[in-house]
Amino acid sequence: MISDRLKKTILNVLKLDDYEIQSETRADEVPGWDSLNHINVILAVEKEYQVRFKNIEVLKLKNIGDLQKLVDSKAK
Amino acid sequence: MLHNIDLNKFLSLFNYIPDDPLLFSTAEFMFFFFGFLVFYTAFSKSRNFRVYLIIIFSLFFYYKAAGLYFLLLVFSSLVNFFAGKFIGTTEDSLRRKLLLISSIVVNIGVLFYFKYTNFFIDIINHFRSSAITPLDIFLPVGISFFTFKALSYVIDVYLEKLEPEKSFRDFLLYVSFFPNILAGPIDRATEFLPQVKSELKIPETYIGRGIFLIMAGLFKKAVIADYIGVNFVDRIFEMPTRYTGVENLLAVYGYALKVYCDFSGYSDIAIGIALLMGFKLMENFNSPYQASSVAEFWRRWHISLSSWLLDYLFRPLQMKFRNLRMLGNATALFITFLICGLWHGASYTFILWGAVHGLLMAIALFTKKPRQAVYEKLGISNSRLLHAFQVVITFHIIAVTWVLFGASSLSSAMDMFSQIFNYFKGGVFIQFVQAFPGVLGLIILGYILHFIPKSVEIKAAGLLTRTPLWGKALILAVMIWVVAQAKSADLQPFIYFKF
Repeated sequence: MISDRLKKTILNVLKLDDYEIQSETRADEVPGWDSLNHINVILAVEKEYQVRFKNIEVLKLKNIGDLQKLVDSKAK
Repeated sequence: MLHNIDLNKFLSLFNYIPDDPLLFSTAEFMFFFFGFLVFYTAFSKSRNFRVYLIIIFSLFFYYKAAGLYFLLLVFSSLVNFFAGKFIGTTEDSLRRKLLLISSIVVNIGVLFYFKYTNFFIDIINHFRSSAITPLDIFLPVGISFFTFKALSYVIDVYLEKLEPEKSFRDFLLYVSFFPNILAGPIDRATEFLPQVKSELKIPETYIGRGIFLIMAGLFKKAVIADYIGVNFVDRIFEMPTRYTGVENLLAVYGYALKVYCDFSGYSDIAIGIALLMGFKLMENFNSPYQASSVAEFWRRWHISLSSWLLDYLFRPLQMKFRNLRMLGNATALFITFLICGLWHGASYTFILWGAVHGLLMAIALFTKKPRQAVYEKLGISNSRLLHAFQVVITFHIIAVTWVLFGASSLSSAMDMFSQIFNYFKGGVFIQFVQAFPGVLGLIILGYILHFIPKSVEIKAAGLLTRTPLWGKALILAVMIWVVAQAKSADLQPFIYFKF
């Protein structure tokens, strides 16, 4: 499950009103989330949760479910 | 007596002869490949037999291109197989990292030694006015391609995108697979290895599309690229100052087409041959000159390399520089393209070519918003006219950068531009048309074919799929005949073999 907080953060950066985000959704499926914008999404998530990801943690992510898990593990 | 000579001649076909690889477009390759396919399909039920057959044929194929250096393939496979295995079984993150770094050092070290040693000796000599003698180093063909292929596997295992491969044999097949060993596509293990494991299936669509791609590739390479290259483009690139500006300009257009037809033609044949064996390789070109920006060009040109650079170079760099935001993106882009240039060859022209592409993309990044604002103010932001304009501009930018790519030296590239701007002599165009109607015709035909919509291509491949076998054989025979007619006396090596 993707939390509303994470979803809102992502949609905000990408300037989307609404977009169905599932655990299996991949970044490149979401409109506007291209390789360049990726940096902005990650920075926004870090800011929202007041965390700092390791580079490798971000590179390992396969889908948004992984990002949720990473956020959960850090925010604890 | 006569019998003996023939047998010797036949046996010599199996020997390594320097500078005489088994080019896909030769009768020699067709002969071997046909023999291979007969065995391959006859024993298709046994996966073991099939895998060993491909490995033996692949090593032989590489032996024909690089002699004993085929052992390099075995070495690369061993190093990366065990690197993947150890990374996969190590829990400790520091040790995993060390393993990854060591395997990158070995891979890049080998690549560096063979490809860049003399270039750097040259640079040292230049700056220190020393006279270190260049080393006599043989460049194993395709080394940049299989090194990157094997590296992608290790990095994917490290990033947990892939389980380490258990069978060394299957991994050796991945690294040495002959259709893509010399010039790509740089296939990923994630897509390729499962195909080695699965039961052999060669659906009709594979055969239809495979034959279509082989024909398209032969036509692009042996008819368009070689003909316009030998008869016109290469001559101008060799001595630009001997020709007028208008000829130089035509050579720029010709080279853009030639480099595309040469390289994508090879990829088409490679993908087609793999399809006939039941393997699906990754797409490598998607009508790159239809791109409406340099960034889009790179999503359509040499896709297997650009996606490799994106995943394994740009993304890590981007994350490293992420606090710099846009500037971080731009820096990552620039470094990525600088290395992309160097990957293509050990020379200043390639590095400059990469730097120009990196710079162009960085500039595009910073000017995106203002450009968009202007388009919206003019009310043309989604218009077809703007799109067409962008395609034309993008094509010309790319064509200009190709001059750096194709020129023998920086000064030669500058000569071409200087001829175009200072010694144009437009009237010579009429003489050119009279002297080289074939060249002009093929350049025009090549570009028309390039801008045909993808749906037409899919329809043509579909039509070929539905054609009965004898029809397919006939069409292929006609194409081989056409190729033979157009073939110049000397076989032209594929441009991308140098890399």
